[in-house]
Amino acid sequence: MTPLISITGLTKTLKGQGEPRTILAGADLTLHSGESIAILGRSGSGKSTLLSLIGLFDRADGGQYLLNGNDITRIPERKAAALRSEEFGFVFQRFFLLKHLSAVQNVSMALVNGQGWLPRRKRKAKAMEALERVGIGHLAKHKPPRLSGGEQQRVAIARALVRDPKILLADEPTGALDTETGNLVVEALRSATDRGCGLILVTHDHDHAAKMGKVMQLTNGVFENSNQRVVV
Amino acid sequence: MIRLSGRFRSSLIIGGQGIRARKMRTFLSMISLFLGVLAVVTVQAGSVIAQRALLSDIEISQGKDGTLQMYLPSNPQAVPITMDLIQGREDVAGVTTGKAIIGEPGVKPINEGGGPLDGNGGAYRGPMMTCDASGQCRELEDPNEGAPSGQAIELSMKAVTGDILQFRPFRLESGDWLDSSSTPSLSPRIVLNTKAAEGFAKYKIPAEMRVEGALANTTPRIIGVVNDGSWGPAAYIRSDELLNWMPVDSLSDPRYGGSMELMLAPSTTADLQQTLKSRLTAAGMNPDELHVRTINSLKEMQSQLSLMRWIFLGMAALVLLIGVAGILNVGLATVGERIEEFALRRAVGTPRLLLAGIVLAETLLTGLLTAAAAIGFGAAALKAVSMVLGSREPFLQNVAFPWEAGVAGVLAGLIAGILGGLIPAIRAARIPIATVMRA
Repeated sequence: MTPLISITGLTKTLKGQGEPRTILAGADLTLHSGESIAILGRSGSGKSTLLSLIGLFDRADGGQYLLNGNDITRIPERKAAALRSEEFGFVFQRFFLLKHLSAVQNVSMALVNGQGWLPRRKRKAKAMEALERVGIGHLAKHKPPRLSGGEQQRVAIARALVRDPKILLADEPTGALDTETGNLVVEALRSATDRGCGLILVTHDHDHAAKMGKVMQLTNGVFENSNQRVVV
Repeated sequence: MIRLSGRFRSSLIIGGQGIRARKMRTFLSMISLFLGVLAVVTVQAGSVIAQRALLSDIEISQGKDGTLQMYLPSNPQAVPITMDLIQGREDVAGVTTGKAIIGEPGVKPINEGGGPLDGNGGAYRGPMMTCDASGQCRELEDPNEGAPSGQAIELSMKAVTGDILQFRPFRLESGDWLDSSSTPSLSPRIVLNTKAAEGFAKYKIPAEMRVEGALANTTPRIIGVVNDGSWGPAAYIRSDELLNWMPVDSLSDPRYGGSMELMLAPSTTADLQQTLKSRLTAAGMNPDELHVRTINSLKEMQSQLSLMRWIFLGMAALVLLIGVAGILNVGLATVGERIEEFALRRAVGTPRLLLAGIVLAETLLTGLLTAAAAIGFGAAALKAVSMVLGSREPFLQNVAFPWEAGVAGVLAGLIAGILGGLIPAIRAARIPIATVMRA
């Protein structure tokens, strides 16, 4: 079966004013449908950079990136935007909700991105469905300042899920939450894999990582080992 | 097509949300732009209204553009020959100008010399003169010498042959214009110009008309009043009705006035001009004095007005530029403030082009809203000015807001929206997602 994501020898070097700094020095990773992977690592180990390359926010300097078997290592930005819309859902540590929009509007904003068009009623229905999936349908009309951190992050997860992505990328989604709320958020993310979605979770929390099917340790831009465990 | 439509709708929706979310900021950026667009609208509306007023006055006083105009020299044969030639032709009109006094018989007119009737009017008080073709001038005897003062008005009597209105579209103020299709009446019908009508309204003049060279004084019937753009009192009369009371060669008499103006439609054949010149030359007139000129006053005036309009539009553009700077300033500040929103939108699949479109849509909507407000304000202000000052300034009566000003306002709003939004749009499209969204 063709993996959703297959990464081989991915490298990334940041070139700024000073010396070039290698962030990724040959990362390998494979993600199948319904699979969940936790990436652990110290700050600066390259976790977020790897996630931004996988999510096509940026391009790798070397290596190969296959998405559904297609090489997208050097994909142009216009096609990358379409893939971000069709294939990926993103959850960030800071929720990035728009304060002037309600929860349901924040979710449906992912549907107003120029990649196809849905009428307003359908957008709202899909956004409501996504909010119900993460258990906060009753907060649909609330604006972000009136929501707790956990509720805001679940709105962000609903926004990531609303286009039914094949891959969910979460960059330290529990970093700004207490343990209990963090557990709820991780559970909401993990439950997406039950519907066949692949999940990559970048985290510092070993307990949250342990809930994923595979845990990978990134150190100085390379994966040290992989602890493959299937979550029953 | 569907894709484009979706992107267009997306940018409008998100742009509208952006404006609603930052109402005060949008309002503040609209203020300076409002003044700029209003300046453009005012200049355009003002120039169009002024142009209409000026050109309309020029047309009635000098004639429509393209009209061929010919002044016949003072000669006893000039008027009879010309009238004989143009009789019954629809493409030519002739006007002989003379003098007439309407009022009490045998008195000096109130405005001796035929000057304006308001105040001292600048009426000519010196001796009456006449000049021949060689430039030799001599004094004419004063027909009113020794006459007592009385209630009478002296005016220019313009005897009309043919349809003069096709060349000079006088504005009918009241009553009717001369009907040339009916049988000439022994009681001459006259149409006063507004200056003469004002004089008649002011001085209660008995209606007896004395025309130099006429065989008898007549009682005219005043049938209408027109605005002919002239500064002095005048009356228009059918030449055939006037000729019931005076011999045709008197129309060429220097004491009567003796001049004739001929107006020809541009389509008039050269044959008529040639025949007229030949007959007048044969009657002893100098061919060098027989000029035909084409009226181009409208074109000349338009070029002068357009120069002035460009100068004023240039000044208005400077004011508009301040408005553009305001939008640009607010746009840049807003992009800086919304950097996370734009990065997020890119992360969820919004293409760079659409992101730029969203920012442009916001500034364009702001520009268009401002333009609509400025145009509405301009139209309302013009209406108010027309109501308040219309009675004093005739050209402001029932003046309509010119569509050209509306178009200029919309264009100004669009240009300001594009200029003010372009740089913020480019910046928004270049926001790097990875840097902004990093945990």
